Amino acid sequence: MKRLLYILSAVFVFSSFAPQKNQPIKSGEKLVYAGSYNMSGLMTQLAQVTMSTETVSTAKNAYLHLSCELSTYSKWDSFFKIRDIYESYVNPVTLKPSLYKRSIDEGGYTKKEKYVFKGNTVNSTVKKRKKPETQKTFTIGGSTQDVISLLYKVRTMDFSKFKAGQTQSMMIVFDEKQIPVTLKYMGKETVNAGNLGKKECYKLSIGAKTDALRGKDKNLIWLTADAKKVPALLKFSIPVGTGQLVLTSATGI
Amino acid sequence: MRKLSLILACVFGALSIAFTILPMDTLAFLPIGLALIFGLLTLKKSEEKEKKFPKIIVLLVAFCSLVVLGKTLVIKDEIATDAQFEQQKIETKQEARKELEEIEGLE
Repeated sequence: MKRLLYILSAVFVFSSFAPQKNQPIKSGEKLVYAGSYNMSGLMTQLAQVTMSTETVSTAKNAYLHLSCELSTYSKWDSFFKIRDIYESYVNPVTLKPSLYKRSIDEGGYTKKEKYVFKGNTVNSTVKKRKKPETQKTFTIGGSTQDVISLLYKVRTMDFSKFKAGQTQSMMIVFDEKQIPVTLKYMGKETVNAGNLGKKECYKLSIGAKTDALRGKDKNLIWLTADAKKVPALLKFSIPVGTGQLVLTSATGI
Repeated sequence: MRKLSLILACVFGALSIAFTILPMDTLAFLPIGLALIFGLLTLKKSEEKEKKFPKIIVLLVAFCSLVVLGKTLVIKDEIATDAQFEQQKIETKQEARKELEEIEGLE
């Protein structure tokens, strides 16, 4: 259980960092990943991760709904079923979040989180299985965002101006608090990007002051070195091992 | 020495069978490999009349490796259609829309 929570936390935390300029993220995008975990030296495919975007409208505003779902492959369901949803409702232009929700069901362990963003204040509500609901209000910086929206925002950054080894510090909201995250540009590498074929990518290292991540330059993300900056590969190192997310399909980009 | 390697071959052989049945993918090759090593080692250390049991272990483990390889190549990794999860997603989205309207009302 703890191992899976670490994996999921790591995936989202290390994938999140702040942008320098904004470009609209397209509605209708769908990225599918095969999630593997290193078990005793062998990568074992465990789950499918789907990241998608769509427009959601209320009477007053239109939001971009950023969704990230994780489901274990059917062969694992009888042994350890996981159904997780991470969602962020953001301004379609600035990607500033208004609402962040997380609902996890991992082998019967459930947890629901809701973060409401109001200016520089966040109201969080957390409900864990068999525990009473807790609420918390905390202050954040002007550019602090939730982990999902930041993952999309990073794709608006212009890495062509970055030099190898260049770093940038940022802040994210994670586990009912604001935590610093550091992004390091490590140069370019060519990796397999699913149905997009082999792609030259920006290789980035992520460091966060959280127990969810371990090691120096062991939490990595490869973004296609084009205007779309699709995350093609993610590798993570956590206290209980290592794993990766490999892009298998990208549509609507 | 023969006794120790025979015990280890038995232990890893049992694990090999368990891992082959469970959806452990290529992870099953770990006990399979160890069972093969200790099985073959036992065979080498055995007298002619003692070779029957380690031979069975080696053959059983070899069969397990074929099953694992077959499962890896044939069974596709796919997620099941989960009506409950789909319903949950719809409800979450409806809830979110209401919550967003409440947030807008506060502004």
